[in-house]
Amino acid sequence: CEDFLTQSDPSNFTSQNYYTKPEHAQSAVDAIYVDLRQIRGGSNSGAAWLMTEFASGLGNTTALGSAQNNLTFRNLEFDPNNPYGASYWNSHYRGIANANIAIQKIPDITMDEGLKNRLLGEARFLRAYYYYNLVRLFGEVPLILEPVDLGSDNFMPLRAPINDVYQLIVSDLQTAETAGLPYTSIAGRVSLGAVQSLLADVYLTMAGYPLNLGTAYYTLARDKAKEVVDANMHHLFQSYDSLRMEGSENQGEHIFMTQFDQNVANHNGLQLILIPFNAPISNIEGYGMLYPVIEFVESYEDGDRRAEEKQFFYTSYGAASDRSQIIEFGAPYIYKWFDDNANVSGNISGLNWPLIRFAEVLLTYAEAENEVSGPTALAYQALNQIRKRANLADLSGLSTEDFREAVWRERWHELCYENKTWFDMARLRKVYNLRTGRFDEFVGHQFVYGPTLSSRELLFPIPESEILNNKNLTQNEGY
Amino acid sequence: ENTSGQVLNKRLDLSYNHTDAYTVLRDIEQKTSVNFAFTDHLDLERIIVQDVHFRHERVYDILNFLFENNHIGFEEQSGTIMLYKIQAPGRLIGRITDENHVPLAGATIRIAETGRSYSADAEGKFSINVRRGTYTLEISYLSYQQVRRQVTVEDDQEISLDIVLAEAVGDLDEVVVVGYGVQRKSDITGAVGSVRGETLEKYAVTNVEQALSGRIPGVDVSVNSGQPGGTPRIQIRGATSVSNTNDPLYVVDGVMLNVERLAGSTHSINFIDPSNIESIEVLKDASATAIYGARGANGVVLITTKKGSRDGGHVAYQGYTSFGDVTRRLDLMNADEFLTVEDIAYQNAEKFDPTGFGRGQYEDPLVKRRRFVIGNTLGNPELFDESLAPLYDTDWQDEAFQTTVTQNHNLSFTGGDQNTTFGLFLTYRDEDGAVKGSWLDRYSARFSFESKLKPWLTAGGGINYNKQRERLLEGWTLRSIFQNIPIMPVKYPDGTWADTEIYPGVESPNQQQYAAEDNRLRGTQDILGNIYAMVHFTPKLYWKTMVATNSIRQEMKNYAGKDVPKLSETQGGIASLSALTAETWQFENLLNYQNTFGEAHRLDAILGQSLLTSNRFSNNSTTWGFLDDYYQYNNLGTGSNPRPSGSSASKYSMASFFGRVNYSLHDKYLLTATGRFDGSSKFGKSHRYGFFPSVALGWMVSEENFLKDHRTISNLKLRTSYGLTGNSEIANYQYEAGLGSYAAVFGNSRAVGIGLSGLANSDLKWETNKQFDIGIELSLFNNRLNVEMDLYRRVSTDMLLNRPVPRSSGFATVYQNIGNMGNKGLELALSAYPVQRASFSWRTDLNWSLNRNEVLKLHDGADILLGTAAGSSTGSIIREGLPVNSFLGFVRLGTWSNDEADEAARYNRRPGDIKFQDTNGDGAITTDDQVILGKGLPDGYGSFVNTLTYGNFDLSLDIQFQYGNKVMWEMMAVLEDRTGAYNNMLRSVKNAWTPENQHTVIAQSKPLAVGYDTKNDTHRLKDGSFIRGRNLMLGYNFPSRWISARHIQSLRVYAATQNFFLISDYPGYDPEVSSFSEEFSRGRASYGDYPKPRLFVLGLNITL
Repeated sequence: CEDFLTQSDPSNFTSQNYYTKPEHAQSAVDAIYVDLRQIRGGSNSGAAWLMTEFASGLGNTTALGSAQNNLTFRNLEFDPNNPYGASYWNSHYRGIANANIAIQKIPDITMDEGLKNRLLGEARFLRAYYYYNLVRLFGEVPLILEPVDLGSDNFMPLRAPINDVYQLIVSDLQTAETAGLPYTSIAGRVSLGAVQSLLADVYLTMAGYPLNLGTAYYTLARDKAKEVVDANMHHLFQSYDSLRMEGSENQGEHIFMTQFDQNVANHNGLQLILIPFNAPISNIEGYGMLYPVIEFVESYEDGDRRAEEKQFFYTSYGAASDRSQIIEFGAPYIYKWFDDNANVSGNISGLNWPLIRFAEVLLTYAEAENEVSGPTALAYQALNQIRKRANLADLSGLSTEDFREAVWRERWHELCYENKTWFDMARLRKVYNLRTGRFDEFVGHQFVYGPTLSSRELLFPIPESEILNNKNLTQNEGY
Repeated sequence: ENTSGQVLNKRLDLSYNHTDAYTVLRDIEQKTSVNFAFTDHLDLERIIVQDVHFRHERVYDILNFLFENNHIGFEEQSGTIMLYKIQAPGRLIGRITDENHVPLAGATIRIAETGRSYSADAEGKFSINVRRGTYTLEISYLSYQQVRRQVTVEDDQEISLDIVLAEAVGDLDEVVVVGYGVQRKSDITGAVGSVRGETLEKYAVTNVEQALSGRIPGVDVSVNSGQPGGTPRIQIRGATSVSNTNDPLYVVDGVMLNVERLAGSTHSINFIDPSNIESIEVLKDASATAIYGARGANGVVLITTKKGSRDGGHVAYQGYTSFGDVTRRLDLMNADEFLTVEDIAYQNAEKFDPTGFGRGQYEDPLVKRRRFVIGNTLGNPELFDESLAPLYDTDWQDEAFQTTVTQNHNLSFTGGDQNTTFGLFLTYRDEDGAVKGSWLDRYSARFSFESKLKPWLTAGGGINYNKQRERLLEGWTLRSIFQNIPIMPVKYPDGTWADTEIYPGVESPNQQQYAAEDNRLRGTQDILGNIYAMVHFTPKLYWKTMVATNSIRQEMKNYAGKDVPKLSETQGGIASLSALTAETWQFENLLNYQNTFGEAHRLDAILGQSLLTSNRFSNNSTTWGFLDDYYQYNNLGTGSNPRPSGSSASKYSMASFFGRVNYSLHDKYLLTATGRFDGSSKFGKSHRYGFFPSVALGWMVSEENFLKDHRTISNLKLRTSYGLTGNSEIANYQYEAGLGSYAAVFGNSRAVGIGLSGLANSDLKWETNKQFDIGIELSLFNNRLNVEMDLYRRVSTDMLLNRPVPRSSGFATVYQNIGNMGNKGLELALSAYPVQRASFSWRTDLNWSLNRNEVLKLHDGADILLGTAAGSSTGSIIREGLPVNSFLGFVRLGTWSNDEADEAARYNRRPGDIKFQDTNGDGAITTDDQVILGKGLPDGYGSFVNTLTYGNFDLSLDIQFQYGNKVMWEMMAVLEDRTGAYNNMLRSVKNAWTPENQHTVIAQSKPLAVGYDTKNDTHRLKDGSFIRGRNLMLGYNFPSRWISARHIQSLRVYAATQNFFLISDYPGYDPEVSSFSEEFSRGRASYGDYPKPRLFVLGLNITL
């Protein structure tokens, strides 16, 4: 009877009978990458990454019924029950859980030690990346470093101090740095360049809010960013078009990306969200869910190439049925991630999403160098590389304060709608004022369309469902 | 050496035109040298034969021919054939009919003195030879009152009897099918409801569940869609489980139906042809269901199919054609009204978004419309004339709905005798959907066979094959009926589909294009078969063994065309094929022992064993990018973009032992004890087995001396039961930590990641349902008034809850035995015969059920929020102390008035916006302001049926009712909350807020882009109570004299109308609705539901 009643799943392994071969180690690490994708997709009910875009006050939306979430963030009326925050939380913790399994199980697998170390390095980088997002979005979060089951103490975890989370992030990245990873990866795997770039960014954030560790960490950030610059393995693209070309993915300016592919996991969701609603320019139905507030586009300096038509933004496009017939949108929309190929012929976008660009590393370097040593020549050199590509004159002779704001302004203009701006706002507790061109305090800053930021919005609410299911959690203030 | 055969087997030729028997014998003697001997005076010369020609015939056959009807016998003794006179027996002949002279084929004539039974033939006739004597005849027929006659017969005397049986009123000797056997109704101690095949025949229904709707107390059927092949949901005595199925177990002729996950939440029962059903029994309390142990918690539906006949061959045809139409319509706007709202919305844009308006973000509709005027050179379609009046005023409901024609033909061939029966049943059904583009067809064949091969051995079996195909409409196809705007045509005059979204600012694809070009076919082949043998060791003890299977193969074939906007245009056509096979195999052995000890004690006991395996395999493939729509899904290789394909397999097994003892003392005191021991592969080693016992007591009070001869009370029985049953229908392998596959991408190629998937719970065990039942059966006035009432209380404990877990674990949910849910209720079945005369009778039936559900305990008392309703708020809530299907939402107080502008501003709203209740007074409308709005489970439901018979006519009227539940009409999210001409709207939007009309619940019209409020709230919540005229039928049975002259056994024609009225405050198509198949995910919510048509039915039943 026992035999008759014992069945095992022919379609899936269990954690008891897996993790025995080198291929298993590889597959365990590959699984960790998948959750990078979850927040980037998009459908008629929106996409999680829009959360930070709308909360930064730079986005307009076509208020379709199925994306009401966008309005609540745009108007700073969001509450713990929003699906975007839950999407971040759920996908990132699943990625962390998969990393925890890999980090626990791979050491016991008999295999090539070099490959083993590299795989463990990738797992640690990804775990750090997920935690880095979580700690910045939600503040104190559960810190889980081992696989969890029903009987684990950490099944109902408490929130860990923010500092502890950053310590884990730094230690994971430092381990990854010594794992023997190649400096670049055309396949889009974690590379040493990615590890160092992320570490530079982490140090920069640690120097700012909420840890406020100051100069020591600006120094660390500067040095780490300089390692990337000096490695000379990455460079800025000549043309902004390369940012939205499949042919230039995982190389050049792109240091680390979320991988999409039209045949495996397409990225039509991104197009669907960005293409204007009701404008028949594409076979992909646009929802126009995120487009710039006009004041932001107008805040670029005169002559900034990025604000010109069909660089970062566009206001018209040829009709899908007849490209010679130009459709005017009546407002600027985001062209930075517009997949020409998908819109003109293939219909299906396989465009990657950049997580770390060399442009950001340069700006990190410039900012950190300025904080440590003032606007040095090297700092100017980094900043002016970005400006030069935008067809803007080199800056020179600025005070430390003015240079600082110049770098920030460049971050706003260069990294817009790229899932970066809100994190800068939270780290700096400053917001770019579109009317004055200066930087306001975060608390009290009024968006051009009305709502005013309060200290509540320095963090997003812990998802309501998580609070319901884990009574050891507390909610962030104000939610 | 035996030579007897040699003489009688001799063959010869003889030929006569006219002669007598004596001559024939003489000729035989001459030709064959056979000697005849005579012991009596036989008058052989008086036996005349004419025109007989024997060619090479045996002597035996010639003699048989001569003497068969002349009371002469013959036998061979030592080469001589002895002829002797046979004493002529008496004969009893006659005909058995009912009061309407309809012959009762198969009625039983039992001769008490000899103990032998005979049955009437197809015409109700019988002929029995008996020796002279006096006999007592007992003539009986199922559900007729038994008649006793005493007759005295002399030798050679023929006695003719005409026997008329009166219909027994609520006959207690009726036999009822129970788990693993049958029982007399009077012996039953549990709560069992029955529906006969004749009742089912009155309804032109597609599947069994529809036929059960409102039919049996305690059985709540939600016929939630009018789509052909829609899948009604049945709950027996309320909901038992949050995460587990609430479907009952279906057992057809002893075969447990497959419960694997099928395409589109269908169930094997959906494919069983209702015309082949003899009876349905619903087992409700623990006494009746415990024999099914771990699968009995949701009640058990036993289905007995039609079998062969014991009285010779019959051919029967039952057929009907029905015509249907949708009578209820939503009150939607026409073209002028739609355009008016668009104008108003534009005018209000400035109020809600002055900056954007100033920048010209909002286009004047007049300017927009001008781009679509006749003769525009922009390449736009022509929608307006020069004066900007719309060219089209399309009623999309009219376009979508059609008059349906449905036909159902059932042909049966049955035959057999006392020892062997067989039957062949064929059905064809062709059903139109009320919405164009949807249809169903079904071919069904059934063969059943049983034979008593030896006095001790009976063998038989049956096979049921159903092949069903449906064309389905999904998603947008239904929503667009309401959303498509009236100014767009279905097609332009040149025959091309109108792109309904070309008019800027609106959303909703062309419903008719979707219905035509989104091809979704679901094909199902369902095979149900069993073979069995019964061995009678003694008359009191038999063994039955059975092998059975339910094998299902489903194929989904989808093709969405190259040019269907929003659906497949981007992909250049999508073709996908998926197939699944689900098979259950069952092997059962049963010992049955029945005995009587003295006069007082009766015992009926069974002991059984069952093995069951069930497996499921599915695979799917999808390809995008087609050259031409021609290929549809028939050549996936022509697609340019093949998507990753998939497959999965799973299997589970169960091993069980069970037993039951029925004991009866003096036919007054009844005891039933049942137990089942189940083992299942779904649970880990430590919790693999479960035991489910029950006990029931019955007291036939009316058999007691003090009531036995009571004038008023003809029957009174009290019964009570208590027992445990289980529910184990969770997904397989939940107790172990399963890993899942992840599709990773590296360098534009696919890599398979293996990562966590299922959270292990080695403590997983059975869900147990504890049920207490007390019932009373009372018949008054010689069974003219019958009442059956049950009170029950049942509690699910160790509920198999798919509990959401902290996502910080990396997992989403885990199956755990957490929580309790209770149901208590009252069931009442009342039948009465106010008039019962030979020429006119009136029967009335009322059944009425009350049920109260309550979630008693959840994990840590935490609420479970389920589903996302339109507008991104919660669908429903599961909370301790509330019914499981409760709605959570906001209270709509109305709209903000101009006087409240300051207060509204605190909520970032303006006058004209919807005003929600700030329940916690924190100055913001958040999820914390949601309150419990109501429940989706009804307080009560039932039906009221009246049947009148006058001469050969009968008339029946069936009214169904339900009350006390709410329906969340989520279509309001698009039809009323979007007040800005983004899609078509309800006419109620004309009552939107204006400065002159501030007392309204509908927000001011404004463009969608300035935002709007849409939430599950009190305004959307509608009363789901209804009274439905379910069936009104007039039938005529042709007189037996007329039909027997034409060799017809019975002939009936009828006309009926179904769903002929609906009284309800619910504003949508039908309050009996649930648009979402997941249990409780959105309460009883309606979003783009498929209406149920009103039907007119014409039918004919004929038996030869």
